[in-house]
Amino acid sequence: MKKKLLSLLLVVAMTGALVAGCGSSGSGSTDDKDDSSSAAGETKAVEDLIIGEIQYSVVEDGGWGQAMHEGMLQACENLGIDTSTNLLTMEEISEEDTALVESTVEELVDNGADIIFGCSAGYSTILAEMQEEYPDVVFAQQSNDVYENIIEFQIRGYEGEFLAGYMCALMNEGSNELGFCASMDEASVRTALNSFALGAKYANPDATVQVLWADSWYDLDIESQNAKTLIDNGIKYMGMEASSPAVPQTCEENGAYCVGYNIDMKDSAPGAVMTSFMWNWVPIFEDIMTKTADGTIDISADYYEGGDCAKLADFNEDLVPEDIQAKVNELKEKISSGEVVVYSGELKDDQGNVLVEEGETMSDEDILAQDFFVDNVIGGKK
Amino acid sequence: MDLIISLFSGAIVYAVSVMYAGIGETFTERAGIMNLGVEGIMLMGAVSGYIAAVHTQNLFLSFLVVLLTGALLGLVFAFLTVTLQSDQTVCGMAMLVFGTGLSGFIGKGVAGVAANLKFGTIKLPLLSQIPVLGEIFFQQNLLVYAMYFIVPISTFYIYKTRYGLKLRALGENPAVLDAAGENVFAMRYGYVIFGCMMISISGACVSLANTNFWSSGMTAGKGWIAFALVAFSSWNPVILTAGALLFGFISCLGSNLQIYLPQVPTEIYSMLPYIATVVAFILSTGNFRKKHTAEPAALAKPYDRESR
Repeated sequence: MKKKLLSLLLVVAMTGALVAGCGSSGSGSTDDKDDSSSAAGETKAVEDLIIGEIQYSVVEDGGWGQAMHEGMLQACENLGIDTSTNLLTMEEISEEDTALVESTVEELVDNGADIIFGCSAGYSTILAEMQEEYPDVVFAQQSNDVYENIIEFQIRGYEGEFLAGYMCALMNEGSNELGFCASMDEASVRTALNSFALGAKYANPDATVQVLWADSWYDLDIESQNAKTLIDNGIKYMGMEASSPAVPQTCEENGAYCVGYNIDMKDSAPGAVMTSFMWNWVPIFEDIMTKTADGTIDISADYYEGGDCAKLADFNEDLVPEDIQAKVNELKEKISSGEVVVYSGELKDDQGNVLVEEGETMSDEDILAQDFFVDNVIGGKK
Repeated sequence: MDLIISLFSGAIVYAVSVMYAGIGETFTERAGIMNLGVEGIMLMGAVSGYIAAVHTQNLFLSFLVVLLTGALLGLVFAFLTVTLQSDQTVCGMAMLVFGTGLSGFIGKGVAGVAANLKFGTIKLPLLSQIPVLGEIFFQQNLLVYAMYFIVPISTFYIYKTRYGLKLRALGENPAVLDAAGENVFAMRYGYVIFGCMMISISGACVSLANTNFWSSGMTAGKGWIAFALVAFSSWNPVILTAGALLFGFISCLGSNLQIYLPQVPTEIYSMLPYIATVVAFILSTGNFRKKHTAEPAALAKPYDRESR
């Protein structure tokens, strides 16, 4: 009996340690905060805003979540919001667990949150429902425009991926073959892949992109094996859509080069990462925060930003020659000014069907919901 | 020929990272204790080694930390299952959840921090010059080379030494050993701790050898593959090696076939390792094989002197 009790105690202690590990981070005591949140139309000093952030993973996931969180921290810093007390970060909130998301929102509201950011696309439905319950709180959600009562924001990531493909093709002198390590076959991944391939084609009309699929959002072995396979097949420059530095590190070990994804991956593989495609959410977050504070926020607003939001990290000076850097920057200007449109005709898919007629451009809806592979992608799914 | 080298050297790298855990678990289960927490302990090994690597920049010290972490967790697990005789399945699940959660928590500080310190590839002089074979076997990292010795030594230990005989008896019928004057509890403690140290090294393979970073949950199911391999191999390190290599080979094959046989949907390749597992299980435990299963008879049964 005594032993049973003792073992029970140990299990309780272990569980306790675990719960401590999963708690919310960065949330200071907020009990002493003013509970009256700023409804639309009311004003509040921007540094007094309380920001709720809902993340599906931990914020140090080395990928999507981290990019979001860093954007949040930067936006708060720029506006003078104290992140140790006024930023409430809720981690590992599963998108499928409706009850958990609801109780998370309630907890944030109880702690006085003025804005709640849903940092992964899966929260939209629940947040739109919760908004009706808490009309004083501004809900902002990363997803395509669906609901009228929450702010939805999205980045034109394809602009950055286009630049990445362009740069790789320029670097890949004397060969037409580029590679790409992709995770799952899904619209956002296809967007990254297709834009990369289009960028490569813009630099070199004969460039092809061989894609290898991991069929998993996170599998280090397959990611690095795919990179290794590309390298063994003579490919020296590749793009990627994956959350771990497995691909860059494999490239470094085998003398190949790549463009990182989600966050700046240069530190993980300084000998291989030429630059990284980065999500820069700061301008969007700042705008939402400022407008919430001065009461001019429109909760049906939607953001779909390109330019500096879909940027490449600083070039790795040791790997990318200055003339190529200049060319990439020049193309970036052309995209921003509208001189170059990424998804414009004539555009064919890998089956030979015409997607966009000569002289026309693709609509935002079609870009967001890509179900095709452009014609210079090799290995696209059927 | 490049394809063959790529396939086989990739298979070895993959295999070794699950074999440390597999061999550790083989010893543990041979001693009659089933540790379901492999994945959690691997993660703890991975994170502790990486934290040490970031802060000390010393590979030897980091490796010691990995061993120590494994030993500590082994001690806790042995205390629960051997001394307190708690249910091993439940305790194993507790270790799993505990290790997964705690590793994520203590790893927050080093997530995304580059250590740039790993078991790098060492080309063995002369041996690595052998065509094909040299490139496959002798251009690997230190943990792989160590495994070349661990497999024969552990096989010899289990089947050819007096200690190995006692180990096998420990898992089959601990009462007999007790009657013979052996300390069943001390031996089980020893093997559980040894097993956890080996599992911890598997974690180090992931964070300090194959790749060099920390990310929460980065072992992504490898612990379970190692756990399955133990039963798959009939608790035999040599068959375990073959199984791990087969797994590694098939997963490498998948990524190459995407280039050479693009007509086949890639999902088929992702299924291959599991199809292989099912086939191997049918072959090794199927009814048509008259032999007894090799599962230790006392596996997962706590030993209690008074209940004899």
